[in-house]
Formats: sequence, C-alpha cells, structure tokens
Amino acid sequence: METGNVIEIQNLSKSFGSFQALNELNLGVQQGEVHGFLGPNGAGKSTTIRVLLGLLRADSGTVRMLGGDPWTDVVALHRRLAYVPGDVSLWPSMTGGEAIDLLGSLRGDLDRKRRDELLERFKLDPTKRGRQYSKGNRQKVAIIAALASNVELLILDEPTNGFDPLMESVFQDVILETKARGTSILLSSHILSEVENLADRLSIIREGQIIRTGTLAEMQGHATTTIHATLDRIPQAADLHGLINIRLDGRHLKASTDVDHIGNAMELLAPYGLTALKVEPPTLESLFLHLYETDNDQVNAR
Amino acid sequence: MTDAFAGTKQLLQTTLKHDGRNYAPWIAFATFLSVTSVIVYPWLFPDARDRAMFAGAIGSNPAMGLIFGPAFDLSTTDGFNAWRALALGGFTSALGAILVVTQATRGQEDSGQAELLASGALGRGSRLLVGAGFAAIGSVMVAIFAWLTTILFGGDVWATLLLAATFTASGWMFAGVAAIAAQLGSDARTSNSIAVGTLGALFLLRGLSYSLDVPDWTVWVNPLGWMTETRPATGDHWWPLILAVVFAIVAFGIGYALQSHRDFGQGAIAPRPGPANGNIRSPWRLALRLNAGSMITWTVAFVFVGAAFGSFATSIEDFIGEGSPIAAVLESGMVSPDALTSAFLVTILTMVGIIAAVPGVQTMLKVRSEEIEDRVEPIIATATHRINYYGSNIALAFLTSAGGVLIAGTIIATIATGADIGVHFGDAMLQVLTVIPAVWAVVAVSVMVVGARPVLMLAAWAGIIGSFGLTFLGPSFKLPDWALGISPFWHIPYVTDDNATWMGLVWVAIAGAILVVIGCVGFGHRDLAK
Repeated sequence: METGNVIEIQNLSKSFGSFQALNELNLGVQQGEVHGFLGPNGAGKSTTIRVLLGLLRADSGTVRMLGGDPWTDVVALHRRLAYVPGDVSLWPSMTGGEAIDLLGSLRGDLDRKRRDELLERFKLDPTKRGRQYSKGNRQKVAIIAALASNVELLILDEPTNGFDPLMESVFQDVILETKARGTSILLSSHILSEVENLADRLSIIREGQIIRTGTLAEMQGHATTTIHATLDRIPQAADLHGLINIRLDGRHLKASTDVDHIGNAMELLAPYGLTALKVEPPTLESLFLHLYETDNDQVNAR
Repeated sequence: MTDAFAGTKQLLQTTLKHDGRNYAPWIAFATFLSVTSVIVYPWLFPDARDRAMFAGAIGSNPAMGLIFGPAFDLSTTDGFNAWRALALGGFTSALGAILVVTQATRGQEDSGQAELLASGALGRGSRLLVGAGFAAIGSVMVAIFAWLTTILFGGDVWATLLLAATFTASGWMFAGVAAIAAQLGSDARTSNSIAVGTLGALFLLRGLSYSLDVPDWTVWVNPLGWMTETRPATGDHWWPLILAVVFAIVAFGIGYALQSHRDFGQGAIAPRPGPANGNIRSPWRLALRLNAGSMITWTVAFVFVGAAFGSFATSIEDFIGEGSPIAAVLESGMVSPDALTSAFLVTILTMVGIIAAVPGVQTMLKVRSEEIEDRVEPIIATATHRINYYGSNIALAFLTSAGGVLIAGTIIATIATGADIGVHFGDAMLQVLTVIPAVWAVVAVSVMVVGARPVLMLAAWAGIIGSFGLTFLGPSFKLPDWALGISPFWHIPYVTDDNATWMGLVWVAIAGAILVVIGCVGFGHRDLAK
C-alpha cells in the first residue's frame, strides 16, 4: 500500500442482483487533503462510501482505509472517522441535541466546546424534535455530530443538501478549519462551487468507475476553453476550422477550443473584426457537463 | 361533492388499484376461517354423540370462550361456524380496516406523501374519506368472499350472509375508531396503537362478558357484543347491524371534526421543546428509548390482561362444580380436577404468552423499520459493532416479552391462589416461568427473519400466527401431535403433574437459540441500508 493514502481502493466491484453498481473502481485519498468525489446521480458514489463504512460488503477488489480493512476492522476504524449521509433521517421524537450527543458518544468522544460553538455558527436549535426539523436542519445535526468529534477522517456524502448560501459559506469555513487541524476529508458533492473552493484533488465517477482523477488544474488541462466574441463580419461556420461547438447568433459567436489552441483561435477570428472578446477558462461545471454528455451518448449508443 | 372532499374519487381509485392487494390477507383469513368450519365440521363430528362431546369439551375449557365467545349451538354446521368464525373473523376484518385508515391518513403524513397530495386539488377531508372508503370497500369484500365460498361448500345462505355481514360491520366500526385515533396520535405508530388497543380491549371484554357472571348491559355497551348478538344460525338477529352502521358514521364524523381542528402533520397535542443535551450513549439505551412508549402501553395492557384472565380463573369452579357437564367426566375418574385446573392454567398462560410475544416481535421489526428509514446506517457508521446493536435489541425484545408474561402471570397466579380452586402460588408462578422459553422461541423467529432475511418481513409474525393457529385452531382440525408440537407452547409441562417432562422445554430453548444465532450471523454479514 502507498504510504500517505488514508483511503486506497483497488479494483473494487459491487453488484446488487444483476445491476453492476461498482465496476473495478480505483480511488486514492491522500493524508490531509480534501478529496472531491463527483459524478452523476446513480454513478456509485454512495455505494463506494457505504463499502468504506463497512455497511456493504465488497464483491471483489481491495479496500484499505486508515491502514485497516473497512469490513473486518469496522469498530476500530469507525472510532477514527465520522460520516455525514446525504439524506439525514432523525429519530422523530428525539431532539437534535440528543441525536448529536448519541452519535458523538457512540463514536467515542465529543468535543463539548466545539459542539456548542458549531450549534452557534450553524444557528441550530438543539431542543427541537427530529420530526420538526427541515431538510437543511437535519443535515446540520449530522454535520455538527461529525465535526464535533476529534477524528482523522471525515466522509461526507452530499453533506450540504438543502443548505442556504449563508449556511453553505459557514460549512466551507468550518471544513477548511477542520482540514487545517490535519483531518483528511472525502467530500462527495453536487455543488460544484463547493468542490472548487474546498477540494485539493478530485475524482470523477461514472457508471461505477473512476474516469478522471487529479487536481482541478490537471482536470482543466483536459477540458476546453469557451470563447465569446462579437464580430464585425459574419463568418461561415465551415471556415472556422479548429473551433468546436460553434454557435452563431447574429454577430455573436460562442465556441470552444482546447487550451493549447487558444492562439490559433484568435488568429482565425481576427480577420472578421473582433469588437468584443471574452475567454472563459474551463470551469468544473463545463468539465462536469462535458462528462455528463459523454455519459448520455454512451447510454444512448447501447 | 363539496370542496372539502374534492378529489376523493380519483384518489380512492388510485389507492384501490395500488394498495388494494394489501387487503388480501384479511379477506383470506376470514374466508379461510368460515370455509374450513363448514368443510371440517361434518367430517370431524359426523354424529350427534361426537357433537355433544365436542360441545362438552368446549364448555370445560372456559379459556376458549374468551377468544371465540359463547357457543350458542354446536350441534349444527352453521352454529359451529358462527361460534368459530364470528369473533376472529370480525377481529381481523377490523384490524385490516384500522391499518388502512391509519396508512391513508397518518402514514402518508409521516412519509411526506400526503404533502404532495394535499398540495394538489384535494379537499381537506379527502384523505380521511379515502381511507374510510378503502376500509369500507375492503370490509365488504371480506364478506362477499367469505359468504360466497362458504355457501359453495355447503353453508346456509342466510346464516352465512349474516355472519359475513358482521365481518363488514366490524370493519366499518373500526374504520371509524381509526379515523378518531388518527387525529389523536402524532404519528402512524401511535395512532395504530390507540386503535388496535381499543379493538383488543373490547375483544377481551366481550369474551369476559359472556364467560363471567355479569349483567347483560356489559354485552350491549360493547360494539363487538352487538356482533355476537346477531346470533347467526341460532336466531338470526339482523337489527344489531343497524347499531353498527350508526356507530361507524358517528365515529367517522367525530374523526372528521377533530381533523379540522388540528394542523397538518401534528397530533392533538403540540410537541414541546425537548432537552438540548442527550444522555443516550449506547445502543442499549437507544433501543430502550425508541421502544419506551410502546413498553409503557404494553405494561398497562399486561396488567389489564392479567386482571382479566385472573378474574376469569375464579370462574373455573362453575365449570367443574356440581351439575356441570364436566362434573360427570370428573366422577368417572378419568380426569382429575387438578389436571383440569392445570390444563386450564396452561391454556390461559399460553394465551398470555402469545400476546406477550407481540411486543417482542414489534421490537425486532422496529430494527427493520429503523434500517429502512436510514437510521441504522449512522449508528453502524460510529464505533458500534453490528452485533452489539442487534444484540441490544434482541435483549430488549426478550425482556419485554418475558416482562409481559411475568406481569400478567403474577396477577393471574395471585388471583387464582385466592380463588380456592386448589392452586398454590408457587406452582402457579413456576407454571408462569415455563411459558417464557416458549415465548422467546416465538420471538426468536422474528430475530432470525430481521437478521437474515428482512425482505420477508411478514414472516417475522410466523411464530405468533403459527402458535396461535396450532394451539387454538389445531385441535378443532384434530391435528396429530407432531403437528401440534411445532408450536413451542405445546411443550410446556404441567408443573403439578409428577410425570411432567421438561425435555420438551429444553428442545424449545435450543431451537430458539439456533434461530437467534442465525439472526445474529445474518445481521453481522448482510448488506445494510438497502
């Protein structure tokens, strides 16, 4: 096993009946990093996380977490990690405060001071019953229970589902503070700005396999840059060789090009008389959408 | 149709289409009871002598009367069917109606389904009306199936129709009771407990009213008493059915009125803020907390059951005393009064035991519903071993059911000892203890199902249904000993009998232990949270 990796998954497969949820999946999370875990719905993110938590048993492949086996060393490992599910279900008659203390004490210890501080920062009333909380507030209960524990690894499965922008920003602050304390974090999320702000590296999963992994900068190297231009003369799309996804709306042009070919693109467009120009570096969103589309193409091709 | 009930028709059609099959078990059980009566009766009791002996045997075990009610006439097929099917058929029909109404109201509010529906063009009272409508139609289906199949196998057309009509009437009345309960409880579980508790209490009171020497009005204040008083095949009184219809309409009206006074998703009593800090720090404490409400309810129920069955024990004198049919049997020396008292005590303790297994099975099923609602996942994701979690719940299930037996059993033993019927308190308590391994074996069936094969959730009730069927219906089928022996209660020794063998109970304990081990291994190895 590589040193420095808190999670090391090799060739992991898991199927439910005839449905292949994970197919030879490989994933590595380094010590001390925030690792973004992205993928379309149903791609296998939660299944991967549940295997890591020892809730599901792997069909094949090797999984190592914090130097142990998630299935056999389950209790020892769980003392060192905390988990936030994407859809928190609370006990209807138990208050949020009771639920936080229950989950915290079952894990081992709970930093009372940090618990109270987090309640304050997330503006959560701990005296309400589970059934009275809104979606976002139920998530807060699980997040506070996880973050108030002194653990080496956090596993977060779409933790900010249902958060308003204010709470989202509190969450991002708190995660960065937690990382600064040396905690490694696996963050599955659909909120791309959250991943862009927090993740040191990320992995993209599709149909049970990791298809890209690396830093955001590395990923952007694979992606295309978007060009918005306003031109004096209207070109023929066929003349703009080297640009892709061309859309012409009167004198406005929108097109994409590889990062390496931006210079060529400028040379192509200059003869048409550029009056306005905007070049957008590849965002995670465009990258993700691109992978989504490929995904759909493959599904349709079957 | 007014706005208050807008959309009822469409919603009812959809509900019938998607959930209609949920009624099948209730229809099947009532039909089965009635049809088997007319099939087996002529075959088991071909002549008048057999029938008289059977009537005598029923009369000698008053505990049977608690469940089946009075045997007005066991000398005809239809009289036998009325005795055997009326009480239990009405009970199951009512149970089905309660569950349907609760699901259509409270259940949907808990799951959030109702919010989707209520935001549509749906009247405020529509969901309640749909629940009641579903229950009303389901109850009619119970009667139609039971009636047609029974007359097909030789039942009398009118007597059977009246019997079947009591099934429908029971369903309607308790749909009304459930409509009220759904407004009082703040979730589906509480509402179901209130309505089913009412049904159970009235069922038991009816049995007592007929078995004890009490005034007639005790029968007439009990809606289930009206059902018995229709007397199919022994008088054919149709008019009590009118009382039932009035009762159903009034109960539904009260439920509707209460509903318009409560907020969506809330009960009659608004929740207060709770503690900001928790003191639950182990799976055991969690299991205790989650089952606390139902444990309190059951404790009260067992005090009641103990008092009811115990007061009943005092009446055994009437059955073995001078001039009773059984006195002649006793004089012949074939059966001793002690053996008869023991048999009686074991029968009522078996009944207590079967009831006591219910909270045990419920505790295990709670584990499954927690799992389905994604609340086991965060617990197992902490440093809690699966076996620790599951074991805590098993321990609680066993303790709750044993506690139920002990509470009711102690009261029964105390009352029976004071009744001067030759029962010693020590013997009676020992007899109470012998019931516990059998109860645990029944609960162990649910431990195995929830642990190893939770998809077959209904199978968790197999132990209870099987034991009940074999103990109380088995003899009327003249089943052989090996078949009756499948019920763990069959192996309970009579402690006053010197020749009593305890080996049967040892085997019951071993079988129960094996089921628990299978359940624990299954829970430790299967995929969770699916």
